Amino acid sequence: MSQLQPTVGDVEIVPLSVAAASGPSRRRLPGWLSLLLANPKSRVGLGLVGFMVIVALISPLISVSHPTDFNLLAARQAPSWHHLFGTTDQGSDIFSQVVLGARRSLILGAASALLATVLATVLGILAAYSGGIIDEVVNFLTNVFLVIPTIPLLIVISSYLKARGMTTMILVLGLTLWSFEARILRGQALSLKNRDFVQAAKVAGESTWRIVFGELMPNMISRIAAAFVLVFYVALLVDAGLEFLGLGDNTHVSWGMTLYWAQTNSAVLQGEWWPFFFPGLALVLTVVGLVFLLAGIDEVSNPRLRNLRRSK
Amino acid sequence: MISVVGEPEPVTRPARETLLELRGLSVAYGDVRAVDNIDLTISAGEILGLAGESGCGKTTVANAVMQILRPPAHIAGGSILFRGEDLTALSAEGLRKHRWRNVSMVFQSAMSALNPVMRVGNQFVDMMRAHERIDKRRALARTGELLEIVGIDPRRIRAYPHELSGGMRQRVIIAMALALRPELVIMDEPTTALDVVVQREILQQVSDLQAELGFAVLFITHDLSLLFEFAERIAIMYAGEIVEEAPGGRLHRNARHPYTLGLMRSFPPLTGPIVRMTGIPGSPPDLAAPPAGCRFHPRCPHCAAGDTELFALQTAVRPTLEEIAPGHQVACHLVERDG
Amino acid sequence: MHAADDVTFVLRPGTITALVGESGSGKSTVARLLARLYQPTAGQVLFDGVDVAGARRRRDLLRYRSQVQMIFQDPFGSLNPVKTIRHHLARPLRIHGRVERGGVEARVQELLETVGLVPAEKYAAKFPHELSGGQRQRVAIARALAVEPAVLVADEPTSMLDVSIRVGILNLMLDLKERERLAFLYVTHDLASARYVADTVLVMYAGQIVEQGAAEQVLQRPLHPYTQLLLASVPDPAVTERAPITARKGLAAAAVDPPPGCRFVERCPLRIPVCSERTPELVEASPGQSARCHVTAPSPARREDLHVEHVQ
Ligand SMILES: Nc1ncnc2c1ncn2[C@@H]1O[C@H](COP(=O)(O)OP(=O)(O)OP(=O)(O)O)[C@@H](O)[C@H]1O
Ligand SMILES: Nc1ncnc2c1ncn2[C@@H]1O[C@H](COP(=O)(O)OP(=O)(O)OP(=O)(O)O)[C@@H](O)[C@H]1O
Ligand code: SF4
Ligand code: SF4
Ligand SMILES: [Mg+2]
Ligand SMILES: [Mg+2]
Repeated sequence: MSQLQPTVGDVEIVPLSVAAASGPSRRRLPGWLSLLLANPKSRVGLGLVGFMVIVALISPLISVSHPTDFNLLAARQAPSWHHLFGTTDQGSDIFSQVVLGARRSLILGAASALLATVLATVLGILAAYSGGIIDEVVNFLTNVFLVIPTIPLLIVISSYLKARGMTTMILVLGLTLWSFEARILRGQALSLKNRDFVQAAKVAGESTWRIVFGELMPNMISRIAAAFVLVFYVALLVDAGLEFLGLGDNTHVSWGMTLYWAQTNSAVLQGEWWPFFFPGLALVLTVVGLVFLLAGIDEVSNPRLRNLRRSK
Repeated sequence: MISVVGEPEPVTRPARETLLELRGLSVAYGDVRAVDNIDLTISAGEILGLAGESGCGKTTVANAVMQILRPPAHIAGGSILFRGEDLTALSAEGLRKHRWRNVSMVFQSAMSALNPVMRVGNQFVDMMRAHERIDKRRALARTGELLEIVGIDPRRIRAYPHELSGGMRQRVIIAMALALRPELVIMDEPTTALDVVVQREILQQVSDLQAELGFAVLFITHDLSLLFEFAERIAIMYAGEIVEEAPGGRLHRNARHPYTLGLMRSFPPLTGPIVRMTGIPGSPPDLAAPPAGCRFHPRCPHCAAGDTELFALQTAVRPTLEEIAPGHQVACHLVERDG
Repeated sequence: MHAADDVTFVLRPGTITALVGESGSGKSTVARLLARLYQPTAGQVLFDGVDVAGARRRRDLLRYRSQVQMIFQDPFGSLNPVKTIRHHLARPLRIHGRVERGGVEARVQELLETVGLVPAEKYAAKFPHELSGGQRQRVAIARALAVEPAVLVADEPTSMLDVSIRVGILNLMLDLKERERLAFLYVTHDLASARYVADTVLVMYAGQIVEQGAAEQVLQRPLHPYTQLLLASVPDPAVTERAPITARKGLAAAAVDPPPGCRFVERCPLRIPVCSERTPELVEASPGQSARCHVTAPSPARREDLHVEHVQ
């Protein structure tokens, strides 16, 4: 059936929210959430990401000391009951750094993802729907941003910028990461735009704006959510990478900065693994969680995969 | 022209064996029974017509046979036997083979069932290659021939679906359903979007191919006059039940169920005086709360409180299919009483 | 590429004009032109004597759309899968301000009842994939009626409906025509239903109108050989023996790149040499009935030619 499978009957794009709402298990949870929880992959993903978010939220309560407090007497201690994750060469508590760093890392990832997704969604769908000159301009922009190598660009920008605050990082990440999602969303919108319901909305007198955001976009929510998650973890990784290279905002704690300091102070050479291990672990767990969530969203929203699971 | 679909196999079918059998099949959407306890058999090489009002559950039956019901739809009872094998018990792999190889389907929504961003030819190639080993060149050549069979310029192989008219897309889908030579082809309103000339051509092609290759057809439509010409046997469905079943010719001359008669009176005539028609008064029942007794009784012209005894039956007891002549079954208290 | 060529016709208030013809002949193209979904490459669309083909301002378009509505051929594609039925009916009411703010819900239910979807409040809350094909089409009809238009372009509104409901819709059309003096363009394949409702019939073949005239006249005494073929193909259980129709190859593409001459020539039993050389004109052959055929509706000039040939 291959080609016919995804479009069996007429429901090829019954979106998550609808599919769930009409499902037999209508519970208190919003539809999309119960669908995601029903899928093993996204369940793992939601669990990991949810855990990190909670840690970030309660970080001020569980951190034992101010993360940059230094105490040379307690420097370079291996993990112990007193310092769960050990201490840095300055004697700062790594547990507190990781826990408080979660806050910055997650906010930064989420904010850049939000910026990139909004840009990609608006430009991608608008371009596909309007066609003509708008489409060409957006396409040109997308292509330009696609060929610009993100990481070298970021390195150049960050090394020139004086103020490397969080906002700058968010802007830089968001503005460089939107393009490939815009391309994917444009493709999907192109295939939707020829469907009669769009034409029917036009005949009813809907404005372009409402057709794009009221009629087309709700059909693409799962793809947009996937875009958000994808940019989220790419942003996390790139951010940590930049900080590790010393191009971050060194007035703040974050996972990348902890790694950076560990590296500058050649912790490993001294046989200290913990300043690398714990922030690294936090980063990996978050990214793995997001990757699982992404796979789950894909599976839930792609009827072909969904049907395969179901017929087992 | 037929050789396209492969070397014709010798057709031997003296006593027709049963190909598909539905036994007491019920399908529900959540708690709503869209198909309620129906029995239906299709013999190898037979054309069975299934007609009935919009929403009576025809597509649901087809989806059940294809085994592509999606939640909340589920089989609420009964069994579906294909050559004696219960489909409801098949594994995922078995189902994959079953679909398209044994049974293929022309979807009612065919016009939107093609992938909008893929050339028509490539959709054929993908479908064929998912089921048999065939190289791309040969698959494309065969696609061209299949398109020609259904009256589409083979050069249109490179077209995108939106560049074809509704009728052309429908024909593409029919060609696709015939591609793997299945034993049963379900056609869910395959010609509703076509003009009568093309409709006739396609039906003729389908019956030619069918006579030669011997596949069976489950033909779903609401156009009874079409079935009278085309189907060997016709089953009439109302509100999830089969209310009458008979050989095509017999049903045309001798329909008995008041609903079937109502359907037959709903065609405007092409000649003679034009009179304002009434169709069948009322609207189909809400399947979440179907009427007690005979489901047609709120709309039936023969249901009046005057005839107390009959009325009591009609409003309280569900009529069952009774044979009134060889091969002719009707579910109606009135017919049962008056014979 | 021309999907429809030199098509001229008039829609009058309180009349139903049926447009019949082979699939792919350009009927939907004409319908969509009227609904202002396509721009004509040449020619005019006059509404109340004003050319609206070029109207671009939103206000003009909206005014046009409040008068001209369309029902699409495919009810599976013309409703937005993520929106409830209520949304589909409420939007046009709001856009065109047809009812007071508080009256929308009541009007939505009234519209659903008009098209026979009861209980209305239950249907209003459903999503399109929960309805059968015919039920969806009735929603589409209700949506077109919502703006109380003067012209209704109906692209095979009943091809997905079963006979008993089809009669209801046809009667509804007759009522609307008589009560509201609506003008209909009724695109259909069903000649019997065209005869039942229409005052005028247009027959289209390969992008051209090949015959037009009063419904009864065209359907009882068809002039053009294609119209005759069409009528002969209507399923009729009374006819047992039928001459097989020879399958034609590739003719569905005839509207693309038409050669000179009559477009029906390859299938025409009456063809004469001139048919493949000169394109026939639409000629009034009897009062109120014209056809595009060298043989059955020869133009005056052509008549003389024929005569000359005879004499020689
Ligand atoms: N996904 C769904 N959820 C709930 N109810 C549904 C769903 N799909 C169909 N139904 C209901 O099941 C009934 C049967 O639908 P089905 O599509 O089988 O009808 P049909 O006979 O094919 O009609 P039509 O001729 O209009 O296509 C209808 O009343 C419909 O409202
Ligand atoms: N977007 C498009 N791009 C290219 N060709 C198109 C497009 N839309 C329609 N066509 C072509 O225009 C011709 C007329 O199509 P149209 O949809 O108007 O036919 P129709 O008479 O409505 O047919 P049907 O009865 O099957 O719906 C067809 O040959 C079709 O292939
Ligand atoms: S059982 Fe009674 S109500 Fe039902 S169809 Fe027969 S006569 Fe009508
Ligand atoms: S012009 Fe010639 S080919 Fe065309 S319809 Fe008339 S007789 Fe036939
Ligand atoms: Mg159906
Ligand atoms: Mg059309």
